[in-house]
Amino acid sequence: MIAVKNIKKSFGSNQVLKGIDLSLEKGDVVVILGPSGSGKTTILRCINFLERADEGQLTIGDMQVDLKHASSREILKLRKRTGFVFQNYALFANKTALQNVMLGLTVARKMPKAQAEKIAKAALDRVGLSERYDYYPSQLSGGQQQRVGIARAVALNPDVILFDEPTSALDPELIGEVLGVMKQLAHEGVTMIVVTHEMSFARDVATNVIFMDGGVIVEQGKPEEIFDNPKEERTRQFLKRILLEDEAESQIAQAREKAREAQQIS
Amino acid sequence: MNWEFIFKDGLIAGIQGIPVSLFVTFVSMLIALPLSFLCAMGRFKRVPVLSQLITVIGSFLRGTPLVVQLFIVYSGFPSLLNVLVQRNGWDFDPFGISPYVFAFVVFSLNVLGTLTEVFRSSLSAVGKEQTEAALSVGLNHFQTNCLIVIPQALVSAIPNICNEFLNLFKSTSLVYMMTIQDILGKVRLVAAEGYDYTEAYVVIAVIYFVLGFTMEKLFQRMEGNLKTYKAAPQV
Repeated sequence: MIAVKNIKKSFGSNQVLKGIDLSLEKGDVVVILGPSGSGKTTILRCINFLERADEGQLTIGDMQVDLKHASSREILKLRKRTGFVFQNYALFANKTALQNVMLGLTVARKMPKAQAEKIAKAALDRVGLSERYDYYPSQLSGGQQQRVGIARAVALNPDVILFDEPTSALDPELIGEVLGVMKQLAHEGVTMIVVTHEMSFARDVATNVIFMDGGVIVEQGKPEEIFDNPKEERTRQFLKRILLEDEAESQIAQAREKAREAQQIS
Repeated sequence: MNWEFIFKDGLIAGIQGIPVSLFVTFVSMLIALPLSFLCAMGRFKRVPVLSQLITVIGSFLRGTPLVVQLFIVYSGFPSLLNVLVQRNGWDFDPFGISPYVFAFVVFSLNVLGTLTEVFRSSLSAVGKEQTEAALSVGLNHFQTNCLIVIPQALVSAIPNICNEFLNLFKSTSLVYMMTIQDILGKVRLVAAEGYDYTEAYVVIAVIYFVLGFTMEKLFQRMEGNLKTYKAAPQV
């Protein structure tokens, strides 16, 4: 079980998180929605200690720590039980895809190389990159890089994987392959917390949806409840805006497609 | 133009001086490289006191002419030492210290000033997300620096290190002022006999150019080998 209690975090005088509680069971997929600046990403970064929270408790399995006062040893131990997928992929630029995935196993977990390689290859196979073991990040497309990023987290077999807007930096036509991999992982029972703007993913995959705004959880529930029957006005407005944006985007995409066709004909 | 001087005496003297110039260059560089990297880490990690100290010393080293530094150390230091020696009655002749020692001190310090900035900027050019990613897979800070940040920083520093190396190599021609017979010193010496100074400097220029060009190519090859991960074409 993973639980965070009462996380608070300020950057200067700006309080980004005003006391957030969150808990999930093994196999759960929690999707966090909300306008930008609402603190979604900060929650994930605090759980992984990339940002030091001002207050709060974190429980992962049998480990419980104070987010503010955790020692560096506790942090190291907790990080080994969580995986993180970054918005900008953040693959190690000087390592191949396979080395990217292996590093956490061989260096952080002192696993023998042969065993690590086997696990890393399996993880890359799982995200459909069997042909790309020895490619450097600069040789891969954005979608492929993000899938390596996911494989890097999956290979560590963590209690939970934190996804920080994993598709936001991708070209629209590459989003599908990454979401596909994430859906497959969810079906295989991987526990995840996902910050995203992909409504279809939230609707289809999430066991629980959280809507955040202004550093607090405004509403949470099953995806059907949130999407079809939101109780709060702020949630309704946000969903409406996102749906409009999605629609506008697909219209632009269609228009672009048409223009391209017209160009080809002429 | 005394062509005979250029192609015979001058050239031979110059070639004889090459080992000396290279010796001073390599030793100074080998002293400066690890030191400047440590200083850069100190600056990069903002170690209190040390960081400020490095900044001030670095500014001094970069902001004063090399010739001045050279003379301060070469003529000032032994005199200073002599005062101490006489006061304490030590059995030591400060004016007998090899000029090479002073050359190594001055040149390595001078390069240290600029190389520290080179390393610092290439360290900070490695994206923050590289560190975060390494931490997120469970590496500690030491492992993160050794395996991810430093290797990337070193590769991006190579062109600047090459520059510094060439600058240093050229600057070492000043050692003739400390009686060390390098390329410049040797050629000037034989030129004095027939007063062939114009020819002498032509010879010197050619020798430096050939060596400098070779070094540049070697560095480029090294950079090409090391940064395969960057040069890779998109697939």
